Amino acid sequence: MEKFITKENLNRLAAELAATCRVLAPVADCGTVTFRRFQPGMVMDLHSRMAAVSPKAATFPQTETLLVVKREIPEKKPEIIETLPEGKNVVIGCRPCGARGKLIFDPVYETDKIKDPYYLQRRKNTVFISLACDRPETTCFCHSVGSGPADPSGSDVLLTLVGEGYVARSVTPEGEEIMKMALFADAGDKGKEADAKNAKAREMMGEAHDYASAPAKLLARFDDMDFWLAQSAKCISCGACTYMCPTCYCFNITDDDLGLSSQRIRTWDNCMSHTFTLEGSGHNPRSTKAHRLKNRVGHKFSYYPDLHKGVIACCGCGRCIKQCPAGVDIRQIVNAAQEYAE
Amino acid sequence: MNANPYLPDMATIVEVIQETHNIKTFRIVLNNEQRMKDFTFRPGQVGQLSVFGVGESTFVINSSPTRKDYLQFSVMRVGEVTTRLHQLQPGDQIGVRAPLGNSFPLEDLKGKNIVFVGGGIGMAPLRTLFTYMLDNRKDYKDITLLYGARSPADLTYKAELPEWTSRKDVNTVLTIDNPSEGWEHKVGLIPNVLLEINPKPKNTVAITCGPPIMIKFTLQALKKLGFEDQNIITTLEKRMKCGVGICGRCNIGTKYVCIDGPVFTYAQLKELPSEL
Amino acid sequence: MSQLDDLKTAIKSRLGDLECVIGWEQGYDPLHATPLFIRSEADLDRLIIGPLAVHNLATYLTGWKGKKVGVVVKGCDSKSVIELLNEKLINRDDVVIFGLCCDGVVSQRKIRAALPADPGFVESVEIGADSLKVTVAGQAATLRLDDVRADKCRVCDTPDALVSDFLIGKAHTPAPAPSLKCQDEFEAKSDAEKFAFWQETMGRCIRCYACRNACPMCVCRDYCIATSRDPLWVSQENLPSENMMFQMIHVSHLAGRCTECGECERACPVDIPLMLLRRYMNKQVRDVFQHEAGKALDQTPPLLTFKVEEERINERGW
Repeated sequence: MEKFITKENLNRLAAELAATCRVLAPVADCGTVTFRRFQPGMVMDLHSRMAAVSPKAATFPQTETLLVVKREIPEKKPEIIETLPEGKNVVIGCRPCGARGKLIFDPVYETDKIKDPYYLQRRKNTVFISLACDRPETTCFCHSVGSGPADPSGSDVLLTLVGEGYVARSVTPEGEEIMKMALFADAGDKGKEADAKNAKAREMMGEAHDYASAPAKLLARFDDMDFWLAQSAKCISCGACTYMCPTCYCFNITDDDLGLSSQRIRTWDNCMSHTFTLEGSGHNPRSTKAHRLKNRVGHKFSYYPDLHKGVIACCGCGRCIKQCPAGVDIRQIVNAAQEYAE
Repeated sequence: MNANPYLPDMATIVEVIQETHNIKTFRIVLNNEQRMKDFTFRPGQVGQLSVFGVGESTFVINSSPTRKDYLQFSVMRVGEVTTRLHQLQPGDQIGVRAPLGNSFPLEDLKGKNIVFVGGGIGMAPLRTLFTYMLDNRKDYKDITLLYGARSPADLTYKAELPEWTSRKDVNTVLTIDNPSEGWEHKVGLIPNVLLEINPKPKNTVAITCGPPIMIKFTLQALKKLGFEDQNIITTLEKRMKCGVGICGRCNIGTKYVCIDGPVFTYAQLKELPSEL
Repeated sequence: MSQLDDLKTAIKSRLGDLECVIGWEQGYDPLHATPLFIRSEADLDRLIIGPLAVHNLATYLTGWKGKKVGVVVKGCDSKSVIELLNEKLINRDDVVIFGLCCDGVVSQRKIRAALPADPGFVESVEIGADSLKVTVAGQAATLRLDDVRADKCRVCDTPDALVSDFLIGKAHTPAPAPSLKCQDEFEAKSDAEKFAFWQETMGRCIRCYACRNACPMCVCRDYCIATSRDPLWVSQENLPSENMMFQMIHVSHLAGRCTECGECERACPVDIPLMLLRRYMNKQVRDVFQHEAGKALDQTPPLLTFKVEEERINERGW
């Protein structure tokens, strides 16, 4: 299905959907742009810049309550209450790279043996209305990880800015359902213009880098700690890269004692943290930032592709590069491994 | 396991055994009778025990699937969860998510001679398989158990040691690091005693678990005795959270200790990147 | 010779004795610098200084403890080095300090606000004496350096490195503004307004700890109370209250130790104005203890020492 929606109507769409769903949309937020829960009256900021944080919180919130245990009556046995997420979500105005993040989650969170009901429920109940990019940033490399500035995969509706509105194309039946709303008008022949814009954006990105040799080349450097010490020298071992990342899916599970009850929560965790792999004995298999960065880069560009049909666990959104306080550039690290002369 | 892999079963502690100054063994029963009856696992598999409001930790199920009255876990007091577990008493409620992980290759072990080499709390995963084999004794040829600890007081499963050492159908050797009054068994480090016992590698599988330093020298001793890499089996430990291959912390390269392990052959370990 | 040439000459003279010298090079685009670890003379060609060289490289020093390294510092960064020395977190013998007389650095946030398009689309940058000419998305814009200077530079009274083995550049006569408008405006707010502000702002925090790890004085980062379970002070739940609790702990641990280098705020990926907390706390420390961290060698931070009776805390008069 192809339709057209004006900028004003897109904001109205957000407001209308907010009546029945949890709508996440990019809004100007004290100089930055973040995804916030959209309330009628708010104005989306789709164009000034890509949101600082990816939209992954829609399907993988920073805090998810897994269960609550009540032990209100001392003589009664405690009761475990499963707290599966409810309700529908709509993400409006994320970029294709942000919407694709969950494609990296999928094969991990649902296997033949294990199904993560919290993620799957959110995944099923979340619609992504993405906006194709019309110009790459210096940190963008989606075209090198099997995607592009107008990649529909992972989105339910893909918007392309044409004049004072957007050409909207449905990608999934769920997207088509939303596009039946009266706010969408006939696209006329604007589709051609959208195609031309998308093609131009792709052209501006230039030639893609070939990561095909990365899995083997990174593994070949595994024991080369000098390599990793040099690559990690400027890293400050914080979690900004991980938490900004649309594909980073690792988490922690902790309990909070709330008196007469307790909650078990899962929260975003990050492999750059010392405590991530710290064992009870005090032993830590990844005791330095060099070990940890090796795992972070290795996971995305080597281990994950080896386990999942060669797919790189990166959307190329560049958030980890531009939001890194020290300017660590994951592209440079992988390149250095690929180009390493034995 | 529940369909929701994060959802524990409520269980009642039925017995607590003080094994050493910092190790206790907990016998637990799932509160849901049907689930307890239906509970199956294979030796080597682990479980996550919860103290609600405190957290979860991973322990090997060290009872045998052939003895179904209770599930048994041995817990060394080292961190937050284990400290709180040690405070619990019979009747107290905990959560359990089990079974998780892979297991010892039972089918491959049939018809083989077996050498168990356990050190300290490392006896826990071996106990499961050892008990299982005692209950299916005819399926295995010669069984040797070498179990050592720093001192007599550091030996776990003391209540069972008399039976293990007196049985005629297994060769049980106990050792401690330094001489101690009243000790009637071997004195010496486990790898040295292993060389002394001198098990023949032909048609034999060695299964070892213990502290990292002991494993290191035991592997060297086994190689010296002529054991092939695929006939040496050990179990790994890593910090775990989800236990089902998602949360991302227990991997060594592409392998996740929680689902691809904890049981690995030495041949498999050598294939992994070096990040233990 | 230019300041950069002088710096390169100085570094070259010591590079042989050192594991590395930490400086800056151009980062992933012409608008961003990134730390450079100089190990050879070839690396030295990539060294840059100037208004884009924002990072406080003293942050890395504790990570090199036990090895001899060089570090290039601006005036503000040199205060961190002094504080690290005063707290015996690094050894003076292990560090060769290449001090700069600094003309100030930019705030990337202010540049972002001043440009006609997102700095992600930057094509070229020309750095002039008092301006930056930036081309973004095909549009050229000339920004006055004065307009995009970091807040800390406006109130800076130590533009020239306070401790150094080589001091490079022309000495300045500092001309700090008495205070920052953003700080004055914030402090003039009522308690209710401040509470509402933090409630909203901490809702944005993602607890990535970039603020903590970018801080040269946050040296217990691997064993931080923020992720500790024993003692358990902060839940991992991402709530404004827990996030603020972490910031309160962070700021308290820095009382009398914070040199206002601004790295916490610069590092924050979601633009939380953390310096509002730091400057307020530092003002209290100045008032109560008449202490400013990093201003002089051989000082002990007031909360790391003990006096039976503090001169300006009237414990018995209550």
